[in-house]
Amino acid sequence: MGGKDAMISKDAKSSNAATSSGAKGKKEVKKETGLGLSYKKDDNFGEWYSEVVVNGEMIEYYDISGCYILRPWAVSIWEIMHNFFDAEIKKMNIKNCYFPLFVSSTVLQKEKDHIEGFAPEVAWVTKSGESELEVPIAIRPTSETVMYPYFSKWIRGHRDLPLRLNQWCNVVRWEFSNPTPFIRSREFLWQEGHTAFATKEEADGEVLDILELYRRIYEEFLAVPVIKGKKSEHEKFAGGLYTTTVEAFVPNTGRGVQGATSHCLGQNFAKMFEINFENEKGERAMVWQNSWAYTTRTIGVMIMVHGDDKGLVLPPKVASLQVIVVPVPYKDADTKGIFDACASTVKSLNEAGFRAEADYRDNYSPGWKYSHWEMKGVPLRIEIGPKDLANNTVRAVRRDNSSKNDIPMADLVEQVKVMLDNIQQSLFDAAKQRRDTCIQTVYTWEEFAEALSKKKMILAPWCDEEEVEKDVKTRTKGEMGAAKSLCSPFEQPALPEGTLCFASGKPAKKWTYWGRSY
Amino acid sequence: MGALRLPSLTSLSSAAAAAAPRYHFYRQLCLPLRSVSAAKFSVQSSTVEKEIAATPPELEPTSQKPRLQPEKDRVITPRSQDFNAWYLDIIANAELADYGPVRGTMVIRPYGYAIWEAIQDYLNVKFKETGHSNMYFPQFIPYSFIEKEASHVEGFSPELALVTVGGGKELEEKLVVRPTSETIVNHMFTQWIHSYRDLPLMINQWANVTRWEMRTKPFVRTLEFLWQEGHTAHASPEEAEKEALQMIDVYTKFAYEQAAIPVVVGRKSKVETFAGASKTYTIEAMMGDRKALQAGTSHNLGQNFSRAFGTQFMDENGERQHVWQTSWAISTRFIGGIIMTHGDDAGLMLPPNLAPIQVIVVPIWKKADDKAGVLDAASSVKETLQAAGIRVKCDDAEQRTPGWKFNFWEMKGVPLRIEIGPRDVSNRSVVVCRRDIPGKQGKVFGISMESPTLVAYVKGKLDEVQSSLLESAKSFRDGNISDVSSYSELREAIAQGKWARGPWSASDDEELKVKEETGATIRCFPFEQPEGAKKCLMTGNPAEEVAIFAKSY
Repeated sequence: MGGKDAMISKDAKSSNAATSSGAKGKKEVKKETGLGLSYKKDDNFGEWYSEVVVNGEMIEYYDISGCYILRPWAVSIWEIMHNFFDAEIKKMNIKNCYFPLFVSSTVLQKEKDHIEGFAPEVAWVTKSGESELEVPIAIRPTSETVMYPYFSKWIRGHRDLPLRLNQWCNVVRWEFSNPTPFIRSREFLWQEGHTAFATKEEADGEVLDILELYRRIYEEFLAVPVIKGKKSEHEKFAGGLYTTTVEAFVPNTGRGVQGATSHCLGQNFAKMFEINFENEKGERAMVWQNSWAYTTRTIGVMIMVHGDDKGLVLPPKVASLQVIVVPVPYKDADTKGIFDACASTVKSLNEAGFRAEADYRDNYSPGWKYSHWEMKGVPLRIEIGPKDLANNTVRAVRRDNSSKNDIPMADLVEQVKVMLDNIQQSLFDAAKQRRDTCIQTVYTWEEFAEALSKKKMILAPWCDEEEVEKDVKTRTKGEMGAAKSLCSPFEQPALPEGTLCFASGKPAKKWTYWGRSY
Repeated sequence: MGALRLPSLTSLSSAAAAAAPRYHFYRQLCLPLRSVSAAKFSVQSSTVEKEIAATPPELEPTSQKPRLQPEKDRVITPRSQDFNAWYLDIIANAELADYGPVRGTMVIRPYGYAIWEAIQDYLNVKFKETGHSNMYFPQFIPYSFIEKEASHVEGFSPELALVTVGGGKELEEKLVVRPTSETIVNHMFTQWIHSYRDLPLMINQWANVTRWEMRTKPFVRTLEFLWQEGHTAHASPEEAEKEALQMIDVYTKFAYEQAAIPVVVGRKSKVETFAGASKTYTIEAMMGDRKALQAGTSHNLGQNFSRAFGTQFMDENGERQHVWQTSWAISTRFIGGIIMTHGDDAGLMLPPNLAPIQVIVVPIWKKADDKAGVLDAASSVKETLQAAGIRVKCDDAEQRTPGWKFNFWEMKGVPLRIEIGPRDVSNRSVVVCRRDIPGKQGKVFGISMESPTLVAYVKGKLDEVQSSLLESAKSFRDGNISDVSSYSELREAIAQGKWARGPWSASDDEELKVKEETGATIRCFPFEQPEGAKKCLMTGNPAEEVAIFAKSY
């Protein structure tokens, strides 16, 4: 049986390489000693990214193109964000639930605009076992149409409102455009919130409350600066009233990323799904609805913004391992003493609430371990060698700027806390500075075209007409992909009277960010 | 709404459809039992409720919404009359779940999902303490993976959901919506495991899985369900065996200590072993109708999958070996187990450790003058308990009578109720009532509402409820297991609806014969075995172990 097995496994590998278009730069066999990245972030960003997500042990490529395996290193980040967000929405009295993965095609097609947006991407179950299903069943691309018949059933009177539900689940969108780990995958994890209110004011309020949580996930946890704003009519959620977004930016590619969106659906779905209630006056009224989501894409944005030529750089708040302790024994040194010091360092840090571990493996050199944990992006490394032992100190090395500090053992917890806080802050500051230098304000088409060619995030006065946006898309079509509006920021710079739209020359109504995007 | 009247929507799961006519019959039967309170409600009930009461039977084809049973009409079929109808009534009325839009699927509503979250919170910590990391594997598995392990594909192929069209195109290879992840896990383990230093590899994932079952029942058996699946790889058979046992032990402790379900832990017979496993360990729970529910399993996979997938490692002597593996899982089925273990005619009864709401506070006032004082006291009691980490809710809705609220929260299975009336306010005390002891016996008056006393009292009571649920389930279980020493005794015990425990060393064929003739299967060879020499109940040959036979879900 052994020989046959070996063949099967070889076949699997070669078919893997052949079918997995997303597995660029993937090595046939992971080399144990092959540390370091073969691409530089600034030279070849795409290859660098494909490599860093694998070598950092976040992702493993898989035989089905566009599907990725999320390894513990990535899932732990997802869990930390989950814990934060879940607790916050529970404070807001939003409840978790779970709706089925399977959608019948008629339900799916109930909202016309909505399904037009999703239909081309749906995956269909057509068989169970050996038998054909009478009617193919869809796998949810999002759950509006799955959930809202139940909203219609559950909501009767004003006392049933607000109905505020959320679910953590997987969704499937069978896209054919270039799959990218985390950023665009055919199956991804997300939370989707779906809520119904008696009044538009309440719905409007929640849209912004949720958007603020999304900002906090990016800025406070992932240390990625985002811009809050509203999507254009053209870019808003299909079937909704308006869409708010937190937009991030990846300077290396000059592309905006829709970080997370919070939609006010208005009453459109309520109308289609007959979600009515009896108000306090005994009249029938339609509910106002929202939906909002963030996905595993967050992790991809973080990697793209902070990663460097040595690998991942994880912000301390989301790193499942914040401090890695590496013993540095020498030939004649007191190895046991060093190991003991490592153990007690880990112990003090764990007790103080930090996520710390020691790497005692004896088949790797300290140098190998440094590179390994740098690749994985651990924010802080503590080295303990004979000299440190003698001085009763440890050496702490920051992942983000490689700065070294000798810390007295007595101040360990205090100093580590300060350093981790500093790393978190300076990652954000550095990312913000890089992002800000990419923002360019333009007034004319010429300026716009030039800024676009320089991969800028462009702030321009706009007439806010859908036709004009479509025109901008057509005019910028090219190898790199067309430019589109990213968002109109809530914080609007002054717009003096008489300012004209950069694209149409008509009077401008607002400032809007433009650029290429993921 | 025509769209919702699809065959897939209206042809609800068979169990439910069968229950429906009975339901209407029992609704009438039940009415006298609650006529007093029902009359009270009608005075108070909102127009909305009247509307619903006036609607024709819910399963009539003209029904426009995906509903099975009325929600607001809170009458539950007595458990003793029709266990299945009772079960479905509880799920509907306690708002645990609803039927999904596709036959055999289920919507888990917030109250049901909160129980699942409590299960997750406990187990997730235990998995991490025992060295497992969470990860996430894709939901789609190439069909060719499933085919690699022969008995595995045989076991699962009739239940596989297959995706053949994606993004408007026919797919080159059909994809399986995961029924379980052994195959994809092994495919990846093969790439990750090189040397003994990479072992043990111990992971877990929380995910949804799909099995296209024909006979479905909410929580117990649905086309899609939520679960955790652990997968580990080890360097030696001993380690794998130890891991499989360790995880069934985690499940056993969870069942006893959190769910108050006195499961019987043991090993599955060869016939009942998981498709592709060498050994399957199981926890078997006795439901209120005395049928068995397999509530969690842990498999020692041996080298079956590692041989099929070529998952090898270099051992310390530089020799290549196949890894030894385990997998183990608990699913949303467990929620069905909780309902069917503890529930009674009044509804759900939740063990305090898993209850989304442990204490319900009901303020009671008649005169307008008393209202403010009572509400103040109720909310301060709520805050006191909340600050102590107790999951508490105050039901101060004005449109419902206290009597209605008592029934409602009993039906929802909340372990403790605190009543506060004007007299209690002036005495600075509260009344505490236990869900598991009905009437006056479960009621204690005059408990101080001052923080330290109240908190200590409530915590103590919750512990009492927790352990008394376990105790009563235990005595129910023990009273319904018969020791048998012959096949005729076995048949008799099964005919009486009991579990039969007796020595067994007969063949697989004879085991299948028992199933055919009595409907009972071997649930497990329990770890706890009686001492002394034994003779097989079927053949009279010497037997090493007793087995437990029962009908099961």
